[in-house]
This record gives sequence, C-alpha cells and structure tokens, in this order.
Amino acid sequence: MRTEDHRDWKLSLGAYALGDLPADERAAVAAHLEGCEECRAELRSLEGVAALLPLADPDRIEAPAARPPADLGARIEAQIAAESAREGRVRRRRRFRLGVGGAVAAAAVAAVLAIAILPLGGGESSPAQEVKFASLPKGVSIDATLEPHAFGTEIEMYVSGVRSGTLCRVFLRDAQGRTYSAGSFRYRWGENSQARLSSALDLSQAKQIGVHAGNRTFTAPVDRATALVGGADIGAT
Amino acid sequence: MGALTRERDVREAYAAHSGELYGFAVRSLGDAGLAEEAVQETFLRAWRAGERFDPEIGSLRTWLFAILRNVVIDLGRARAARPRVAEGGVEPSVEPLEQALLAWQVEEAMRRIGEDHRRVLLETHFRARPYAEVAEELGVPEGTIKSRVYYGLRALRVVLEEMGYED
Repeated sequence: MRTEDHRDWKLSLGAYALGDLPADERAAVAAHLEGCEECRAELRSLEGVAALLPLADPDRIEAPAARPPADLGARIEAQIAAESAREGRVRRRRRFRLGVGGAVAAAAVAAVLAIAILPLGGGESSPAQEVKFASLPKGVSIDATLEPHAFGTEIEMYVSGVRSGTLCRVFLRDAQGRTYSAGSFRYRWGENSQARLSSALDLSQAKQIGVHAGNRTFTAPVDRATALVGGADIGAT
Repeated sequence: MGALTRERDVREAYAAHSGELYGFAVRSLGDAGLAEEAVQETFLRAWRAGERFDPEIGSLRTWLFAILRNVVIDLGRARAARPRVAEGGVEPSVEPLEQALLAWQVEEAMRRIGEDHRRVLLETHFRARPYAEVAEELGVPEGTIKSRVYYGLRALRVVLEEMGYED
C-alpha cells in the first residue's frame, strides 16, 4: 500500500478509536488493521486517550476556565509572611542546630531562654540576628537569636554543655561599652524548653551579647552585616 | 528551583500553578469559596514542608497537586461532618476524588488543544453529531473533519502526557 493510502487509513483511526465510524467504514479500517502493524500501534496510542474522554463533561470544557480571585496570591503571601515572621526564628534555629550538633552530643542538653533587657532609646528595627559564640570550651555551645520588634528586642539563647545548675547571666552592650543586664537563668541538665521574653531595647543599639556562666564570661559581637557571626571569649569582665 | 524555602519560591510556584490547582479544586469541591480555601491551604502546607520538596524526585506541579489532593480530602471530610439541615431532594452524588482529578485533567487538556480540534471533537464525539453536518456547519470537507478528529486526539494525548498521564 502506498503512502497516500496509508495516510488516509491513519486519519480514520481517530474516529475508529472513538467508535464514531459508520459500520461499513469501520469494517474497512478493521480489515486494514489486520495487515498493518504500524496502524495497530497508532491505534493503541489513540485508544488510551479515547477511553478517557467519557470522563469529561463537554459543558465544563466550554465553560471559561475557573480563575482564582485576583487577590488570592497576595493573601497567601501575606499569610506566609506572617507565619514566617512568627516561626522564622524556630525554622532558622532548627537548621542552625544541625551545624552545632556533633561537638556537644555528650552533653545533649539545652536550655533555651529569653532574656529581658532594660529599656533604652528606640530606633529603627533591623533584621533578626543569629549569633554563634566561638572560642568556647570543648563541649560547650552557645548561640542566640535576637529579633527586633516594634517594642524592642526578643532574645532566645541556646546553651548546652555547661555544668547543670550553673547560673548564667546575660547582658548586651551598646557601642559605648555600656552593659545592660538582661536577666539570669540557671542551666539545668536535660532541659530543652523554649521561653521568650521581650525587651524595649532596640536591636540596632546592641553591639555585643554576653553570658556570665559561673566564673566565666563569653561574648559575641552583634553584627548586622551577617546572619551568623563568630564570637570570642574575652574572659571575665 | 530547589526546595521551596523562600517566600519568593512560593510566589513563583503560585504564578505557575495556581490556575490549574484552583481549576481542579473548583471541579472537585464544586464551590468557589471552598476551592479558594483549598488553594490557600495547599500553598501554606507547601511552604511549611518546603524543605522536603525535592525536584529530583518529581515536579513541583506534581507535588503541589499531591498536597491539594490531601487538602481536598480534608475539606471534603470537614464538609461531610457538618450536620445537614433537612433538605428535600437527593444528595448530589460525590465523584470519587481520583476520578474527579482524571476528569478534570481531560477537560483541561481539551481546553488546551487547538480550537479547531476541540470544536470538532466536541461536536462529533461528545454531542454525537454526524460528520457531514459538522462539516457543512464549518464549511470544510468531511475528510477534514475526520483528520481533525485524528489530530485532535493526538494533540490531546500530548497535552495529557505533559500533565503526567501515562497509559
């Protein structure tokens, strides 16, 4: 059979697959299919689709496609932004912990606390800061998240590896080196809870964060340039 | 695009897929308000689980549809749990979800193929009109109708495959 004929047969396969051919034409196509592997293969590929058509509703096909309301995207974004602001700290911390993990596994304990800071002049809010204390004794891990709010700063501190019962006093320092007590907590072995307090001190004023832990003091700079900052042990103050 | 972890990723995903997701939500829930709720919940869940999305495993579209499917089931359950006030008549039959998804995909694919092909398939197959009648109405030879049916089915297959259909 020649190409032209073959093409004609092929064009009938759509109607054949859909069962829409009159009986005589149908019989002729069936006879051709007997001897034509290529058309049989083509038919198979059309039959799968043809079998799905009864599911579709022609009126629905012709109805204009339903479009979401124009403001739905903006509402979803707003909700995500709100959730992100609320949960962002937790999200970031979760990721952060992964990097800190190993060294402190032996003392797999954590105390998360929030510290209130004495009020100081307000200012523009700055991005949330993650501060990692560096130069710590082996097994000790300290990091903090400082988050600005319209009312001031929220601090979460995450400490592990120090002796249970150790009294920890937290402070912030401003550019002039003035120290602001941020409250204290006692590190309890095996605790892993989150507490949050708020302070009226604006994060943009803070240059350094520190912890007096027992007879040692650890500090880290609060650097708005980076999300994660190495700190230094400056010894007792 | 990697994991869906930034707000910008969500915005891009919304721009690319919200139309389809909403279309399916309307189709399966039969209610524009609920569909809106479903799409919103889908993107929120996607955002919360964003780190788990792995483009190596499947497309973002497939992942979002999988989430939407669960949301639709949840919404359907919530709706079913609401006590119904006395109503006359028969409860509208609820299409099983998998079938609704398939039906919606076929309808969506039909909308995406060329106008000529869609028209001919609708008139001859869905509305069972004779080829000759449709040919006359469209002012084309009957053979053209037949070939449009053929190429229309092929086009439909291509679109369905793009949407993830395999037979």
